[in-house]
Formats: sequence, structure tokens, C-alpha cells
Amino acid sequence: MKLCASKPLSTIRALELSEIWAGPFCGCLMGNMGAEIIKVESIQRIGRGPINPPSNAGGYPDDDPGNDPWNRQSNFNAINRNKKSLTLDLKTEQGLNAFKDLVSQSDIVFCNYARTVMENFGLSYDEVRKIKPDIIYMLMPGYGNTGPYADYRSMGMAIDAITGHSFLRGYPDMDHSSNSLVHHPDAVAATNGVMAIASALVHRTKTGEGQFIDMSQAESFMTHLGEIYLENQMQSFSRQRRGNRHPDFAPQGVYKCSGEDNWIAISIKSDADWSKFKATVGNNNLNSDVFDTLAGRQQHHDQIDKVINEWTCSQDRYDVLNRLQSDQITSGVVLDCGSDSYADPHLNERDFFQIVEHPSAGIYPMTGPIFKFESSNGHVIHNPAPCLGQDNMYVLKEVLGYGTDKITQFEANEIIGTVPLPGSDMGGSRRVAK
Amino acid sequence: MPFGALEEIIVLDLSDRLAASFCAKTLGLYGCEVIKVESLEGDPLRQWTSPTQNGQVDDSPIFLHLNAGKKSISMDLHSKKGQSLLADLMKVSDVVIESQKPGHWEEKGLAYNQIKNINPSIIFTSVTPYGQTGPYKNFAYDELTLFAMTGAMNREGLPDREPLRYAGEIAQYFAGNAAAAATASTLFKRTLTGEGDWLDISIQECMAGHPHQIGRRAPYIYAGEPDPRSQPRTSASGAREPYAVGTFRCKDGYFSFLPLGPRMWPNIAKMINREDLMTHPKYDDTIKRSENKDELEAIFQAWLNDKTREEIFKAVQAAGVPGSPILQPEEVHKNEQFIARDFFQDVTHPNGQTLRMTGDPFRLSNTANSQIEPAPTLGQNTTQVLQNLLHMSNDEIEALTTEKII
Repeated sequence: MKLCASKPLSTIRALELSEIWAGPFCGCLMGNMGAEIIKVESIQRIGRGPINPPSNAGGYPDDDPGNDPWNRQSNFNAINRNKKSLTLDLKTEQGLNAFKDLVSQSDIVFCNYARTVMENFGLSYDEVRKIKPDIIYMLMPGYGNTGPYADYRSMGMAIDAITGHSFLRGYPDMDHSSNSLVHHPDAVAATNGVMAIASALVHRTKTGEGQFIDMSQAESFMTHLGEIYLENQMQSFSRQRRGNRHPDFAPQGVYKCSGEDNWIAISIKSDADWSKFKATVGNNNLNSDVFDTLAGRQQHHDQIDKVINEWTCSQDRYDVLNRLQSDQITSGVVLDCGSDSYADPHLNERDFFQIVEHPSAGIYPMTGPIFKFESSNGHVIHNPAPCLGQDNMYVLKEVLGYGTDKITQFEANEIIGTVPLPGSDMGGSRRVAK
Repeated sequence: MPFGALEEIIVLDLSDRLAASFCAKTLGLYGCEVIKVESLEGDPLRQWTSPTQNGQVDDSPIFLHLNAGKKSISMDLHSKKGQSLLADLMKVSDVVIESQKPGHWEEKGLAYNQIKNINPSIIFTSVTPYGQTGPYKNFAYDELTLFAMTGAMNREGLPDREPLRYAGEIAQYFAGNAAAAATASTLFKRTLTGEGDWLDISIQECMAGHPHQIGRRAPYIYAGEPDPRSQPRTSASGAREPYAVGTFRCKDGYFSFLPLGPRMWPNIAKMINREDLMTHPKYDDTIKRSENKDELEAIFQAWLNDKTREEIFKAVQAAGVPGSPILQPEEVHKNEQFIARDFFQDVTHPNGQTLRMTGDPFRLSNTANSQIEPAPTLGQNTTQVLQNLLHMSNDEIEALTTEKII
């Protein structure tokens, strides 16, 4: 599909060497903004889930991994939309040379593997810029490319832990071993990655210079916690876990509604909100003067929560939401990522979901882009994730101008391909159905 | 000097909430000149959970963080004169960042579709809780209630208890970051075409379209898999080692682990000096390790009990096992990695206090890191901005001051 010319990055080609979330989401966002993202994979090492998943493996269309599970894995297909797939065996001279040829036709190379992976292929920034001096090249290891942790392995949850965010998460009445693992920093690395790349593109237009972008996933995320680090220096006490509560708003919490595992979040942000709220709840137990101040409500928070829960527990969560919002009382229903969000009227009215036809996985409404541009008039790009090696011919023939003989040789030497080789299974995270 | 990629770009920051303010701050870190336009009363975030230091009320930590490096101009935005002054500023700016309810600027003649007539290449970035359209567009929100509506909350916490938010203001920061990335991408297009644009960024959609949520939504739509909260130590994935997943107590705190599958088992056995377990009939394959999870967890815990986070961190890195110590926030800026990279910078504020503040979320090879500057006091740069951008005379500025427009 021809990319829409009005998109911010539609003149740009980027090479993605990435797995899991941070790098792939970075490519996904740039793809949504019109960039041509060529995901460089290999048939020697598969980052698309297991090649022969067990029969109970979840996450495949209709629970059927099919004959080509690597093209049908739900997480992969959701986050690799709007990309092309090229397979290359970078451990061979032919594969490496093809990559170098492709670099000369590209604007950006980005990688979220461990820091030394590209260097070991002979594709360090210094090598790559010999081929294309104005290349923009980004490595995004967990702790950055320098310092004592430069070669430490990490994942989103590791960054969540080391930045202090894990310490502040969780139920205040339980210890940290009850914490779930959260990988949110992966996504932050992706948005910061796009930010850095876009800025480097502006810089390149003005000066002709490329850049090496040293992205630390930890530092990226730490800019989202800045006030917490300042509090420690400005106050005589440190922030402790707050759960669903807030120092300036009370009551605040998540309350049970009718149905299974249905909840509503409510924040009372002022005394004026409180007086509207208690009138809506209409329970005399809330009428005490003591509750008319923030301090009083905080002191008796558990008692107030009990009354609110009694009020919400027999009601439909959306009824409570609409009633509270009609008074501009801060509230929101807890939506899950499945049926709730697909049924949400607001997300639907904004066309958040996009029907996507995938050649192997079928036709499904998938999560759409997160940016809306006036200039697009509602037209969003949403091409399916590529099948493995789907665009080998396009890249080798059309972008690089290789002849048929050379391409046939690439196939024979297993430099390219569309089916994983035996031994290429890297496993990977996946769900177990039900 | 800040990194020059976006130098000479003038950003008008009209934000009064976190996400839009962080969007503007991020653009500032890449070299934009960010002019914060405040009402005469000031950004409400100045007084957000404001702490007192020696009894003195200061701007809040969140304000100081979000506005480091910005300039402040304060004006009466309710008055016609103030609005006309703002229109003049929009005319000479490159980017406007705003967070008001949809329709707010239209009434004042200051919406994108009105301003683009006087400045066709302006980029207007609106960062609002639910976007410019749809039934929730005027909903009241805060981090808790918005986070609930993104899909992120439903999975956080224990199955038999209420769902939890993350700590901090995570959804709003994330959306601010995403909005900055989209704005910078649009700035790039503008360098080629001269075209402006209006960006409608919904904080809800940013979090709902985040990999965490995408990764849960896809198995639902492909195969009807539900998305419940689970026990923290039961890995959602059958491919992971079941006993060393999650957060564990150790000698001086807590440590998080996420071994990535059966191939990690030998690494773990070696790490805890129990290679004998690799051939033990109770533990020699994934299913058996799963069935004997409690016993293995006890062995693992015994190894952890007399070790510090630091010792465990060295051990997991040597063994190639994904894991990381949980630091307390006050430990973060003392961490050797962040010190080695000079991530935090000492910044002296107008009240004389020196604070260690977060630096750049990136390093670029061709330029030095940003020098982090303190947040401005209210209206600190009013005169300077009006002189430099609108070439106003001292008399004109004095007249506006007398009329209480600025």
C-alpha cells in the first residue's frame, strides 16, 4: 500500500532491529506517522513466539497456531503493524553486505537488543556511518550505552524497579512481594525514541548531520518521576505507597459495582465536589460536618469508603459514571483490555479500533494509532503486521536493485526465507489459554 | 546551551495540566524555547501538593520538575486585550501546546482553525484526557480515574481485591511524552513542506494503545482470552520458570525477577549454587518445576535471604538472569550508574535551594547535554518575551501592566 504523502514521516525509511516491546513500539509509532519501517529479522532466530507452540498455547486466532504460528502470534501482530519484514542472516558476508547496501538507502537504524549486538555484527555506529554519514542511529539498552551497567541486561520490569516506581506501587497494607511485574518503561523508551529520532531528523535537515542517539530506558522513565525525586529533597519525609489514594483528594478510591469484577474510580477533589457527591449518594452517614473538610475526610477515609461501596455495589458502573460526570465529579470506570474496551462508546466513536486483514491471521479489529492529525481528515494508516520475510523481494529488488540470480542465491544460501529454520526457536513469552 | 536540534523553535505552553506541560518540557529539552503562558494567578500546578520547607510555601515539586527551563509570561486571559496579546504571540510562534476542554479556545477566537489564518504553519498540539471528540470529551479527570479507563488498571493488583493504579502520574506523563514525539515529527514535516497541523492527543488513547494494553487486547480479539488480575507469583506465561518470577524479599529490601523460559533454568541453578538440582528427578523439566514450585521457591528464597540487592544484582548479571533491585526513590540519585552518566544535575532555584533534578532522557553524539535550568517564577520573563517576540516598547509594556493585562 502506498503511504499517504501527508504524514509527518512519510519521506523516511527506518531499519528496525528489535524484539518484544520497546523497539517494536518505537517502529510502530513511526509507521503510524508514515515512515517505511523495515523490520530486519532472520530465519535463523525467530522473535515471533515459539515455532511449534504447545496445543494449549494461547493468543493465536481461534486458539489455532496454524501451520505458520510465527505469522499468527497475537502480540507480535498487534505491535508490528505498518512494517515490512526483511529476513537477513547478518552472520554471513552476503547478508551483512545486503544490510549495508540497505543502510545507504535509509535514514534511520534503531535497535533495542543488548548494546553489543550490532557491534558484534560489524554494524556499530562508526561502521554504519562510513556507509551513510548522515545516518541517525539509536541504541536503547536498559541503562544506556556507557557507565558500569552499560552491558547489564534489562527488561521493562527491571527499569520499573531501579527507578523507584516499583517501590511506590502496590497495596500499602501488603509488602512488595505482592507486587505484579510492570513493564511500562518499555513504552516510555519507545515514545522517547521517536522524540529523539524526530528531533535528529530536524537537525539533519538543517545541518546535514546525522547522530548517534544513546537512549537509556531507565533515564527515559526517570523523567516521568521527577517530582518524586524532588520531594525527597524538599520535604523531611519520603513518599510512601499510596495505593489508590492521594494526599490532596479524599475520598479517592476504586469501588465495586454490580456484575463480576466491575469497578468505578472516584476522586473528590474539593469541598464543593464533596457536597455535590454526598447529595448524590444520599446517605445520612455522610452528612457529618467532620467530613466537610479534606482533613476530616482523610481521617475517616475507611468509613466513607464503606458507605460509597454500599452505594455503588448494586449499581451499573456506567450509570454511576454518567451520574457523577453530569455533576463534573471526577470518575472513571475500570475497563479491561478485552470486552470492556471494545465495547466502550467513547473509544468506538473515536475509531480507536481498526479492522485489519492479515494474510494468515484473518480479519480482526485491532488497536489503532494513538495520534490523530487534523491534516489526515480521519484517515489512519493501519496495515497488518508483516509475515516473516514478506517483503524480501520488495527490498532486494526494488530498493536495492538486486538481479534475479543474486536473489536466487540468497534463497539457496538461506540468507533470506519465509520459514524459520530448525533451531531458530527462541521461545518467547506467551499466554496459556484459560 | 541545550541540544540544538529544535533550536529557534518557539513553543507557547498554554498547559494547565500535567500531560501538556510535560509535552512542552520535553520539547524544551531538545532545544525549543518554551514560553509558558500563565494566568495572573499562575499555573494551578504551582500549588499541587505543595510541601513546606522550613515553614515557607514554595512552588510544588511537580511544578519545578515540569517547568524547568521554561520562561514564564503571565497575562489576564479573560480580558479581550489579553486574548489579543495571546493571538499576537501565536502569530510568531511555531508550536502551541494546550490542555483545555474542547471548544475553549474557539470562544476566544484562538482555536487552531482560527489561528492558522494568521499563522498557516502553526502546529497546535492539544493534549486532553479523552481527546477533542466523543461522549467523554468533557469528563472531569485525574490520574486515578483516567488510568482506570485505559485498560491498565484492570490488570494491576490481586484477583480478590480492588484494581490498583500505578504510582506517580504515569498515564499523563506517558501521553505528554507521546504528544512531544508526534509534535517533533510534525515539526520535521514542516521543515520540508512548511505545513502546520492540529494534533488531537487523548491521554486515554495513549495508555490504551500502549504495548501493555495492546498485548492483552490482541489475545482477546484473536481467541477470546479474558484479561483478569492474576496472582503476582504466577507467571501469566507457560514458557517462564514458575518459581523465580516476581518480587522477592532479600536481606536489605526487594528484588524483581523475570526468567524468560526453561532455557534459564540452568542459569538459575548455577546462580544459587545448586547445580545438583538440574538433574534432580523433581526438577528436571518445566512441568515438574511447575508442580514443585513451592519447594523450589523456598530454596530460592533461602539463597536470597542473606544477600543484599547489590550482591544479587551482580549475581543475576553474571548468570544472565533478568532481574533488578527495587530502589527507594531517595536511593536513585545515589546509584552508581546514574552518577557515572551524570544524569542528575544540580540546579539552584531562585529561593537559593539547590536540588538534584533529572536530566535528559537521551544523549546525542554531536552535542552536549542540556543544562537544566530552574522553573521560572510567575511572570518572570513577561517583559523579555514581549520585547523580544513582539518588539514592544517600554511604554506599551508599562501600559499593559497598569491595566493589569500582564
